[in-house]
Amino acid sequence: MNHSIFEVPHGGYRDVFYNNPSAQLIMSTDAPFYTILDVNQAYLESTNSARETIVGKSVFAAFPANPTDNVSQNIERTIFSFEEAISTKKTHTMSNYRYDIPIPGTDEFEERYWTTSNTPVLDEHGEVMYFIHSPNNVTENYKLAQREKAGVVALSNQRQQLYSVFMQAPVGIVILKGTDFFVELVNDNYLELVGKKREEFENRSLWEGMPEVESQVFNNLLQGVLKTGIAYHGSEAEVNIVRNGVLETLYFNFVYEPLIELDNRVSGIIVVAIDVTDMVKSKDQLKEAEERARLAVDAVGLGTFDLDLVGGEMITTPQFDKIFGFDKHVPRAEFVNAMHPDDHEIRIKAHQDAIKNGWIFYEVRVIWKDGSVHWIRVEGKVFYDDNGKELRILGTLLDITEQRNFREEQRKLTTLVDNSVDLMSILNLNGTNSYINKAGMALLGFENEEHVLETPIAKLHTPEDLAFVEAEVLPQVMQKGRWAGTMYVKHLQTEEIFPVYNNCIRIDDPVSGNPIAVGAVMRDLRPELAAKQALADSEQLLRNITTAAPTALWMSDESGDITYVNQTWIDWSGVDFTSSLGEQWMKAIYADDRQRIGDKFMIDLANRAFYEAEFRLNHSDGTIHWCVITGKPQYNNAGDFTGYIGSCSDITEQKHLQQQKDDFIGVASHELKTPVTSIKAYTQVLEKMLKNQGAEREAGMIAKMDSQINRLTSLIGDLLDVTKINSGKLQFNDREFDFNQLIKELIDDLQHTAGKHVIIQELEHAGMVYADRERISQVITNLITNAIKYSPESDSIIVRTSMQNKEVSLCVQDFGIGITKQQQEKVFEQFYRVSGDLQHTFPGLGLGLYISSEIIKREGGRIWVSSKVGEGSTFCFALPIK
Amino acid sequence: MIADDDPGIVDAIDIMLSYEGYDIVSTLTGDTVLNMDSDYPDLILLDVWMPGHDGRDICKVLKQKQETKHIPVIMISASPELKRSATEAGANDFLEKPFDIEILLRKITHLIK
Repeated sequence: MNHSIFEVPHGGYRDVFYNNPSAQLIMSTDAPFYTILDVNQAYLESTNSARETIVGKSVFAAFPANPTDNVSQNIERTIFSFEEAISTKKTHTMSNYRYDIPIPGTDEFEERYWTTSNTPVLDEHGEVMYFIHSPNNVTENYKLAQREKAGVVALSNQRQQLYSVFMQAPVGIVILKGTDFFVELVNDNYLELVGKKREEFENRSLWEGMPEVESQVFNNLLQGVLKTGIAYHGSEAEVNIVRNGVLETLYFNFVYEPLIELDNRVSGIIVVAIDVTDMVKSKDQLKEAEERARLAVDAVGLGTFDLDLVGGEMITTPQFDKIFGFDKHVPRAEFVNAMHPDDHEIRIKAHQDAIKNGWIFYEVRVIWKDGSVHWIRVEGKVFYDDNGKELRILGTLLDITEQRNFREEQRKLTTLVDNSVDLMSILNLNGTNSYINKAGMALLGFENEEHVLETPIAKLHTPEDLAFVEAEVLPQVMQKGRWAGTMYVKHLQTEEIFPVYNNCIRIDDPVSGNPIAVGAVMRDLRPELAAKQALADSEQLLRNITTAAPTALWMSDESGDITYVNQTWIDWSGVDFTSSLGEQWMKAIYADDRQRIGDKFMIDLANRAFYEAEFRLNHSDGTIHWCVITGKPQYNNAGDFTGYIGSCSDITEQKHLQQQKDDFIGVASHELKTPVTSIKAYTQVLEKMLKNQGAEREAGMIAKMDSQINRLTSLIGDLLDVTKINSGKLQFNDREFDFNQLIKELIDDLQHTAGKHVIIQELEHAGMVYADRERISQVITNLITNAIKYSPESDSIIVRTSMQNKEVSLCVQDFGIGITKQQQEKVFEQFYRVSGDLQHTFPGLGLGLYISSEIIKREGGRIWVSSKVGEGSTFCFALPIK
Repeated sequence: MIADDDPGIVDAIDIMLSYEGYDIVSTLTGDTVLNMDSDYPDLILLDVWMPGHDGRDICKVLKQKQETKHIPVIMISASPELKRSATEAGANDFLEKPFDIEILLRKITHLIK
């Protein structure tokens, strides 16, 4: 049980004291100890103490001061309050003072704040018996109050700082209130931005301060923010503002930030603006500069590229793609592939060099999709990283096809000039040549180019010729721009003076138009003069030859009119040259022949055919001469027909000889055949008589004689036919006849003399043929007798006829010795004989097939053979159905 | 009748045809043929070329005269080219010299059968 000065029984007021929720301590007035007389539970709890440790102790012993609290002076203030309460006998209150309490079991104290009242309890005498110490723990309230106080200070400071920031912000800020955008606050920077004075701007409507801006879009923007409560951010907005009396165009980045009240009402707008005029103008200038650069690049047709050497990617401009012939960007590989295969090495080497040198340059060809070839020039710079590793190449691309072509043309021109066979020179106005090509140097005897430069033209002429050049040539060149004509020059070494044809032109300065030189093209006339002389000599020689020729010569133009006859014709015809031209030459022709040879000439002229005709000439000696005229069509270099050149030969003598020959043939034919005819007749009579007399052996001998007479007859016939063929006297009496009928008749006759051979007929419908029946008979007979003759080991031959493709054909097949391929090509030649092996020799002159071939050809047909050695031959001919 | 200027031919044909049973009158000139006025032959074998006369002309005359135009004429010549003109002159047949006597007999038989 704790000691208590009060002997107060439990229950009653004592319990009231102990259970009082307010902490109370009853203390003695025994200053300076102020002994604790009693304490209630609330006090013990609020001071973390126990009754037994404090009751009976001085209050200051029970609650010593916190040694770390050097400022509170708790003890002094407490004693003062005790003394006041005791002395005044009235309650004394101390508010919000600090009095820390020890933490049990430690040396530590807990910070506490108290509002304490000390109330004296008086006795019946009015004296103070003790007093009630009632501390009220206000630590939380105190600290809260302290914090509130500190917060207010801080807020005040913050406001002050914000204001300072606001006012000194490097951006323009203005706070607008209400729908008329009343300027509540504006900082100096804003005023400076808009060029206004504070007194003209603050505390009035924004538009009153900046009337020139109201009509621009900003009013709507501000209204929008006010209405929606959503901030608006403007970027590089163009604003026309009157600053210091001058209307200026400025650019701002700005924010319209709504001022939102607690009730979510938008009461105003904070405007924050930054002047970006310089930046925008710089940007514009930069953009403009870039645009100018781009235009410049485009203007010269440059394409550009950015080649990533690490990743291999390449960025190109549309112009780059276009130069490569692409209408869109393509992967780099396609650009590379478009290059001419022969130029790939150039590109590869250029890239290798570029890595070392830092620059790339090359010219190659690219082949477009349409196959056209274009020259390109690539130039660029290599960029490296910090370690010197190449990163990329930036460069340009230019189509240099025209330049290349121009260079090539220039090179060709230079080559042409250098290698021209004519002299080409440029004469300066000071009288010396600045250039003479190789041919010119050789022509005039210059030793080298220095020699050219140091030699005045006076040395290239005689004084007389130089005077001509100075008086005639150069003035005309200067005045009229050109002079052309013949002049004389002198060789520097040999001093030979020779003619040249000189074509001079004035060369003017392309800018000023003033003459700067004279260009000359000079041709040595000596070879030309020599050639002319040679030509004249040649013409004279030719004229002499044609005059002296024993043959008449003639020429016609493309319409057939005679343009030239030689003296021989004039001598023969007795018609002079002029009278022989045109169509007059016909007058010399024998009247009966004019129409015929004239018509033939017109036909051959129309067909551009070789002309040949025989005619009789009324010779100047009064006799008739036979002539043959021939003419060959002539064409110029362009292939156009220009007329005829021909000759005319006197063939009177040949005609006489021919006639004699023809007569001889007739006589020979008659004279040879006549005795043979009578011999043959006698032989046959004799044979018949002997047979009838039973003299078979003698009859057989006579029959053999008859056979030999037949051979002789055949040989005579062949020789005469060949003679006729060669002289063109083989006559044809064409008429229509039944082809198969003829063959049947012939086979009937021939079968009698065919011996063991059976002539097999395989005749198809052949119809009528228009030809010389006797001559065709001769051919068929020849083929059949040949077949029999050359197949002694077989016993049959086959004769076939057919008709197809407007031709009637006959084939005679034997199964004899056959003919080699080489022999087949010659078998229709004159005097060619097919020879057999040693066991077989075949008689004959080798004329039969030649005669047959000629007959068939002259009937407009064709004749051929197919054969295989050892198996036999098939001879065929075909005749057109006329 | 045989008319040919070559005696060998005339003689040989005469023998042959006589042997075959024909009555033969032979002549070496064309005049004999032209001057016939009676006792006309059944057939005349006429050479084309005879001295002084062209057999074709003789043939034409024979074929024009009423009295002789029915007489068959076989013209003979060493020139086969004359066959056409001989036919044009009215000859009934043509035989190229030298000829096979059998063929001659066939032609005669054919013409006077």
